Amino acid sequence: MFAYYLQLGLRSLRRNPMLTALMVMAIGFGVSASMITYSVFRAVSGNPIPEKSSQLFVPQIDSWGPGLNEKGEPPGALNYVDAMALMRAHQSSRMTLIYQIVLSTLPRDADSVPVSSTGYAVTADFFTMFDVPFAYGAGWSNADDDARAGDVVLSQEFNQRLFGGANSVGQKITLSGHDYRIVGVTKHWNPAPRFYDAWGGSGFGNPPDFYLALNRALDLKIDNAGRNSCRGAITYNGWDQYLQSNCIWLMPWVELDTSSDVERYHRFLESYSADQQHAGRFGWAPNVRLPDVMKWLDVEKIVPPESRISLIVALSFFVICLVNTIGLLLAKFMRRAGEIGVRRALGATRHEIYAQYLVEAAAVGLAGGFIGLLLTAVGMSGVGVLFAPDIARLAHLDFSLIGLTLALAIFATVAAAFYPAWRAAQVQPAWQLKSN
Amino acid sequence: MLKMTHLSKVYRTEVVETYALRDFNIDVKEGEFVAVTGPSGSGKTTFLTIAGLLETFTGGEYLLDGQSVSNLDDNARSRIRNEKIGFIFQAFNLIPDLNVFDNVEVPLRYRGMKAPERKERIMNALERVGLASRARHYPAELSGGQQQRVAIARALAGSPRLLLADEPTGNLDTQMARGVLELLEEIHREGATIVMVTHDPELAARAQRNVHIIDGQVVDLAEDPRFHTAYTAAAGQIRG
Amino acid sequence: MQIQPILAALRRHKAGTILIALQIALTLAIVCNALFIIHQRLVHISEPSGVDEANLFVIGNQWGEQYSTQEAAERIQQDVATLRQVPGVQDVTTANNYPIRGISDDNFITMTPEQRAPTSDAAFYMGDDNFVRTLGLKLIAGRDFRPEEVQNEGLRQTVVPSVAIISKAMADKLFPHGDALGKHFYAMTPNPITVIGIVDVLHRGDVGTWSAPYVGESMVVPTRPAEPYGLYYIVRAKPGQLAAAMREAPKALYAENRMRMIDPKDGLLSYAEIRRRAFESDRGMAILMSVICVVLLAITAAGIVGLTSFWVGQRRRQIGVRRALGATHRDILNYFMTENLLISLGGIVIGVLLTFGLNLWLVTHFDALKLLPLTYVLGGIALLLLLGQGAVFAPALRASRVPPVEATRPA
Repeated sequence: MFAYYLQLGLRSLRRNPMLTALMVMAIGFGVSASMITYSVFRAVSGNPIPEKSSQLFVPQIDSWGPGLNEKGEPPGALNYVDAMALMRAHQSSRMTLIYQIVLSTLPRDADSVPVSSTGYAVTADFFTMFDVPFAYGAGWSNADDDARAGDVVLSQEFNQRLFGGANSVGQKITLSGHDYRIVGVTKHWNPAPRFYDAWGGSGFGNPPDFYLALNRALDLKIDNAGRNSCRGAITYNGWDQYLQSNCIWLMPWVELDTSSDVERYHRFLESYSADQQHAGRFGWAPNVRLPDVMKWLDVEKIVPPESRISLIVALSFFVICLVNTIGLLLAKFMRRAGEIGVRRALGATRHEIYAQYLVEAAAVGLAGGFIGLLLTAVGMSGVGVLFAPDIARLAHLDFSLIGLTLALAIFATVAAAFYPAWRAAQVQPAWQLKSN
Repeated sequence: MLKMTHLSKVYRTEVVETYALRDFNIDVKEGEFVAVTGPSGSGKTTFLTIAGLLETFTGGEYLLDGQSVSNLDDNARSRIRNEKIGFIFQAFNLIPDLNVFDNVEVPLRYRGMKAPERKERIMNALERVGLASRARHYPAELSGGQQQRVAIARALAGSPRLLLADEPTGNLDTQMARGVLELLEEIHREGATIVMVTHDPELAARAQRNVHIIDGQVVDLAEDPRFHTAYTAAAGQIRG
Repeated sequence: MQIQPILAALRRHKAGTILIALQIALTLAIVCNALFIIHQRLVHISEPSGVDEANLFVIGNQWGEQYSTQEAAERIQQDVATLRQVPGVQDVTTANNYPIRGISDDNFITMTPEQRAPTSDAAFYMGDDNFVRTLGLKLIAGRDFRPEEVQNEGLRQTVVPSVAIISKAMADKLFPHGDALGKHFYAMTPNPITVIGIVDVLHRGDVGTWSAPYVGESMVVPTRPAEPYGLYYIVRAKPGQLAAAMREAPKALYAENRMRMIDPKDGLLSYAEIRRRAFESDRGMAILMSVICVVLLAITAAGIVGLTSFWVGQRRRQIGVRRALGATHRDILNYFMTENLLISLGGIVIGVLLTFGLNLWLVTHFDALKLLPLTYVLGGIALLLLLGQGAVFAPALRASRVPPVEATRPA
């Protein structure tokens, strides 16, 4: 029966080529606009570390107090004093501190000029907490951190540029005039959004070049090249005073495995803040937060508003296209009221009429889906016009998107056809083709 | 009232020319009730559409109410249809989207009449056909006879001098047909000119005069009762 | 003309009427908001930076070695001297940032040291005594920096400036009575800063929406960024020699001292390129919204043509009857045009509600957006009425050509 309905549907679609083309184009445009914007939205709003996102948390401590904090919320990073206190407390199974640095690399031939390289100063747990994949070697140990060792892990891309992709573990590398020991080389790893630097960066960008042992970086007074935020009158003068200031710039992450661990850590943050209050360092009651990865990305508004607005506009556009399709399908089906009457008289049940028209709509949807797929593919190349290059390159047409495009087109068109098909099925049986 | 002389109507297709009417002559006097009869395809309906200015003709002359209509533009023809002619169609041709009142109102709207006058005329017309109580009903809620009476009311509302009826009872059963015919006769008695196309001899017999059309030409039978009888027999055969 | 019977007829075609009205309503809502977004973005894109964009370029200079404050300051002096020798270069200044770069250094501004809620969050530029002249800023009151006022700032040092040149927007915010010159304010500093000069326009470094309350509020302090990280050289070329100066300047710098890094992608930018990059997403948004508007209007128009054509086809017979009953061509044309007008008006009533609803929703969810001005809604209404009338014209014309004889055709 399905084949018969399909045959009837296709014949009917051929009979009004303009009307059919109009519907197919409307569905195609609507579906492709939605898919293009969705592909970007999917890329920017996705979970960058799905297997662990609910075990990784940002400990937030209000070190600024009422009137200076973020409208009552604690700031998004830690100052040096609080960061080091949390590190020393060892209240979580793992913890890391992160700040962004920019260093120079001097290629080994003498005439060349130095090249800027960007990376993060991190502590040992960074690699295990975030499941960083390694091509060669591994991260350094907590003991290395305690020994303030000059260890560095290179990214695959940086290792490719400097060592042609060879195993460089054990070699020395000079960055901004200081020597470091390479202990590991990662495989390609660039979570999008870059959740661990969501406070400091845009969340999207090229993978970093290296990860450097944080204690050594601090010893060498390597300045923070990322975000820095201070409150009140700035009176520090020099690096050591800067470390004692209220400026926040160190990004903390902790790993907590169970909900009781989370509760316990939250209590710890409160008691730490209370201690600071008693010691007179904080003049306010404890104000702490402990968001996990997805909550943190939400707090940091990592999804660009452009992406959200364009998705909403595109979806509304699709809805209008569907309203358009409902109207046109209604016109198309009801024009054949006479034919329906005769079919009913010849024994077709309501149900069969219904099915026949839904199949016809599905055919329209499928055609619309293919047009939509074509337009989506074209539109993907134009995404760069809409979004910053960092974000635009995240959008791509993969199998799941192709499947989704076709499924959405067919599903939406069939849904749009319900009312017109229902109207068609209401036509009374009649012996003659009577026009009204 | 209606005078056609040497009138012809040619339908042209790419290959052939078909004469629907040729050297067609008819003269309907004011106040007459004329029945036009003829076999299928004889040109009855063509005659009626030309008489009603629904179509133009190819040659000859047509005087309606003493006025030549050959050179009138579309707007002028619309105006004459609206003011002088009332139509009654076989299929009633009520507008299904409009209720009885609004249907009767259609020609009055096009005449640009003021609302109070329109309302008075509509209610008078509906009372004449006995459907004043159904003014708010839609055509689909009425029987065939009632629908045709609404159509007649619509034709009457504009007080036309000429009433053109195309098989007005063709879609009705005998009893309803009789009612409609009595209504037409009543209207005729009040002074309207009526031209009615029919292939029903019984109906034709009730008109003052019969005009028979065969192959697009008029064969006037009214003056000769012998022909009339012969025609009735012939028509009977055709219908049988 | 015959509004009441048209309405009566439409009541018998509820589904089609509602669908067209709904489509017009939704289209109005989307188009009004999209046009407004486009307008806002275009206004944003065309914001003046206050600098002589045609002749300026910026060199992002990072040091290849870690210098002390003193070393860095000496290198900078040398670099500036070198750049001045480059043919085509008219002026050079040092800075920590430049207008419309995309990122601001910003300092909370208070009128007293005790004040907690800041009066402004001004963009913070470190410039030398060439800053105002090189950028081509218009000094409208007071004076420029003197060479002896310029201090070097090293790694996490806080050089407390005692004087500043501020933008007129900032002056107006801080001192609404127009008497900013010579007055004091605090910029997270322990001591007051005196306003010694006011420039007409000086855009912030950032172009984001968070700083909308502080738009155009910028301050310059006489400081040279002698930090280990590096700094920006803002270079003004002689008229017409920008390209040549941009080509030669980095070569000259490397020739003088190769231990520096000028990023191949972002290290050397003309102001035209800076402006392009700064407003990339705004332009993209404007383009997306324009495309959606155009396609949307086209689809809505096509939908109206489609449905009206269907209606005309469905009503050929009754059009014939109307013609037989005396309707002229124009009567029939008017009938369909009026019918569309009524449906459009219905759609517009719903659409105006939807428009403001969508706008309110957008405003509450995205700081970027503002409340829709009424002119946009009126414009949108006019656009959609025209669109509807335009779309319905062809099918209505076809309807008016239905011959009256259609009434007599057998059913």
